[in-house]
Amino acid sequence: MIFSKKIKKENELQIEDLEREGGTLIEFRDVCKKYSRGDRDFYALKDANLTINESEMVVILGPSGAGKSTLLNLLGGMDSASSGHIWFDGEDLTTYSDNQLTKYRAENVGVVFQFYNLIPTLTAYENVALMKDIKDGTSDPREALSSVGLEDHMHQFPSQMSGGEQQRTSIARAVAKNPRLLLCDEPTGALDTVTGREVLALLQNMSREKKRTVVMVTHNSFFADIADTVIRVKNGGIESVVHNDSPKDASEISW
Amino acid sequence: MLFRKMLRDLRKNKTQFISIFLMSLLGMLVFVGLDAESSGAGAAVESYYSKYNLCDIWVAGSGFSNDDVITANKVPGVKNVEKRLSLTGTCEKYDNAYMYINFMDSNDINSLMLYEGEPFDENTEGAWVQEWFCRHNNIKLGDTIRIKIDSMTVDAIVKGIIDAPDYVYYVSEADVMYPNYTKNGLVFMPSSMYPDKSNMIYNQLIVDVRDDMTDKDNIDRLKQKIEKAFDRDDIAVTDRDQNLSFATYDAEVRQHSAMGIMFAVVFLAIALLGIVTTMARVTASQRTQIGTLKALGFSKATITIHYVSYGFVISALGCIAGAWIGYATMPPWILGMFQGSYLVPDLKGKLTTLDIEATIIAIAVATLVSFLSCRKELKDPPAVTLKPPAPKKIRHSALEKSRLWLLLDFSTQWNIRDVLRNKLRSLMGIMGVVGCAMLLICGFGCMDSINGLIDKMYGELMTAKNKIMLSSDASYGYAYDLAEKYKGQMIEETSVEFVTEKARKSGSATIIDKGNYIHIQDKDLNPVKLNREGIALTNKMAGLLGLSEGDFVKWHLVGDDEWQYTRIAQIYRDPSIQGITMYRSVFEDMDYTFRPTSILTNKSVPSDLIDEDEVSTVLNIQDMKTSFAETLEMMNAMVYIMVIAAVLLGVVVLYNLGVLSFVEKVREVATLKVLGFKSSKIRNILQKQNIWLTVIGIGFGLYSGWGMLYVICTTVSDTLDMFPIISAATYLISIAGTFAVSVAVNFMFSGKVKTIDMVDALKGVE
Repeated sequence: MIFSKKIKKENELQIEDLEREGGTLIEFRDVCKKYSRGDRDFYALKDANLTINESEMVVILGPSGAGKSTLLNLLGGMDSASSGHIWFDGEDLTTYSDNQLTKYRAENVGVVFQFYNLIPTLTAYENVALMKDIKDGTSDPREALSSVGLEDHMHQFPSQMSGGEQQRTSIARAVAKNPRLLLCDEPTGALDTVTGREVLALLQNMSREKKRTVVMVTHNSFFADIADTVIRVKNGGIESVVHNDSPKDASEISW
Repeated sequence: MLFRKMLRDLRKNKTQFISIFLMSLLGMLVFVGLDAESSGAGAAVESYYSKYNLCDIWVAGSGFSNDDVITANKVPGVKNVEKRLSLTGTCEKYDNAYMYINFMDSNDINSLMLYEGEPFDENTEGAWVQEWFCRHNNIKLGDTIRIKIDSMTVDAIVKGIIDAPDYVYYVSEADVMYPNYTKNGLVFMPSSMYPDKSNMIYNQLIVDVRDDMTDKDNIDRLKQKIEKAFDRDDIAVTDRDQNLSFATYDAEVRQHSAMGIMFAVVFLAIALLGIVTTMARVTASQRTQIGTLKALGFSKATITIHYVSYGFVISALGCIAGAWIGYATMPPWILGMFQGSYLVPDLKGKLTTLDIEATIIAIAVATLVSFLSCRKELKDPPAVTLKPPAPKKIRHSALEKSRLWLLLDFSTQWNIRDVLRNKLRSLMGIMGVVGCAMLLICGFGCMDSINGLIDKMYGELMTAKNKIMLSSDASYGYAYDLAEKYKGQMIEETSVEFVTEKARKSGSATIIDKGNYIHIQDKDLNPVKLNREGIALTNKMAGLLGLSEGDFVKWHLVGDDEWQYTRIAQIYRDPSIQGITMYRSVFEDMDYTFRPTSILTNKSVPSDLIDEDEVSTVLNIQDMKTSFAETLEMMNAMVYIMVIAAVLLGVVVLYNLGVLSFVEKVREVATLKVLGFKSSKIRNILQKQNIWLTVIGIGFGLYSGWGMLYVICTTVSDTLDMFPIISAATYLISIAGTFAVSVAVNFMFSGKVKTIDMVDALKGVE
């Protein structure tokens, strides 16, 4: 793909660290997320069980309100479960304190948001460089931005960039940390088809070439084709987990 | 990177941050300025007193010999004693200047500070003359000055130009309350210069106390011991706090530092309100960004520090700049004005640890406040913060549920809801208006009160056009004839001392003969007739002594050894002279002889009357009024500070508020526009709320302005009993001024209604 011409040496080193391909990275057991509305309890997620393997490309599919965002939030340590256990690389996240969760997010998770969530008062370069404040050994922001094809937009503010460019900045920011887990919340939701496909290709590349675990949440079932594993969510529960032996290239799908 | 983000956010919200900056700057400017000024003034006089050895105790009496000096010197704790003859006289050549004259035969206590010439020496014949008086009357070393003391005349060659630590402040009888050192001189001469040597009687002992005995308790004990040592009734023993020069300066310095605190509190409170509202708005508008930062793995502490640093950086910049500017500008300005009122060398501002502490505390409080106001967005997990905030729970107020609500038109309903749901913002607006109106009322009220005081002194309480002051040569017969000739009223003005268990105070006594030029007013300022049978005591003095009508007061004339124990027949109020007033008959019933000191008359007095030996000076009341008003420069400076502060405060607070509410209302206003409301109609809706808040603010402002004026008037000094006066013009100007500021600022924002782009404003949140 045009955005992944070169694989950086330091990234290769990272890959060696992650050379446990096929091993379990994440496991959910009987996870519930409960909200209280007045005197009634409401389950956003109920008794969810699933496993995600290292360097897989996972797509979580489901309609609005099915619980997929909750799943993503729990995966990313952005929220805590009401009950059950979530293991990440053998560690139980549900026992973590706020500070431990923060550290978990900083060390292991990169997030790509539907609306990019760039800091509007910082340039593309600065948004990526922000990661240096929270983790040692992050990639050079310049390289991270080059790897998503934004060499020429380095010093533009988000408001001066197109949606696709902003989303690519957001991906550069997420991968600059060299996270083991890359979480994407409807990453193409605000983009047109062509740009969206480019973004998808970029994410697929992260999993295939750079051996990162990519988890993408979407309501768009066409994306199931590019995933190694498809998890369908419905009414706060896991409906099915399907493994895809021959995922398509992102360039092959359309919606 | 977060630092860069902060700088850019600050720039983006610059109006609000500038106003916070300005408020913290103003607060610290006034506080540090006045504190550095008053500390500097205090420190300068402190070192002046110690370097030139200001005495700790004065003993006044009708005659002291060398034996008395020895007696006083023997009191344990006393280090040194000197005797003096302290008199007043005139200097014809310099516009009949009123002179304080001291004859002395040594000068180790209250040493003269020499500017030019030779040091004082009791064996050198000559005069040592006060510096300001020399400078403004063009007196040089070697000039001869002729001084008239009653019927005696002294010619002396000026040997030195000096200042004296016991004459930091003095007023002639003519000036009453404000000094005029050009027309009021001070001269020191060796005893050998006194013309009538055989009849020379020293009337003052100055006592220097051992350095370890200068605290209040020891001084009080020493005063009692000295009184016992002499065991005579004709002496008055006083300390520094009872000394006019020392006490006036001391009170002035204290008053300035109190003013500084008062102003600082007003400005800093506004700055804090600004920080609260601004930071709450900034963090609310950056909710998604905060969520993103959390999701990316920034710790709560890092994000908190980031947002708290906004308030910190701005208030630190403002406070430090304010403190520095205040220190650099206020002391020179105010101390410059001091020069005409107080004769203290080397007056300059001094930065104290309090200034630094206050700056740090102000910054700390601002930082804390910004922490508290952004904490709300930080407590939830990132998943929650990333989502838009849950809608505010809106409860209907009682008014909205009442029947009355339905009778109100839309704009009233809209504004009532808006005010009730943005209480903090509305409160801040009201506070700004209150501050503005309060300072205007208080500032102009000060002017009114001073004018009222002058009019009362010379027009209500004393109604004569001329005051002929007699010298001590004047016999009763002379005075009587003069009074007959000019159809005048004879009065005696003299000093008295009051004693209660609580306090010992010096004051004055006015004894009046028949005539109609002296009037008194009761506590509530209603004219009353002076009691024919007893004495009347001023309200302020009664308060200081803890006495009221019907009580007995113990007093004696200064220089007379007989104590009187008299029932207070009446309490009256006088703005500038505290003490007692009585009819001549009452005075004579106590076996005193009535010795008129001046004659009040409405008839014009020939200018050559002054040449007579029995007349010391003739005062034109109109001149006194004018010169009195001119010398109140200090008070005027306060008025300027208050008026400037008022306008700045009003503009800054209301502008800040305007930006804030405008930004918050953009979507609502855009919606109204889309619905078809005309811009002018929307403007009226917005202006309506502003007018409500302004009216409420002005109401409170008038009240608190009066309170502030009352505090200033009643605490201004021990001898002044000022009553707060606020004229109709002041009310009008203050209300109109506040209204103008408020409406003008609001107009600027409501003008923007036209420019709101409906489509743009209704698009996405970010």
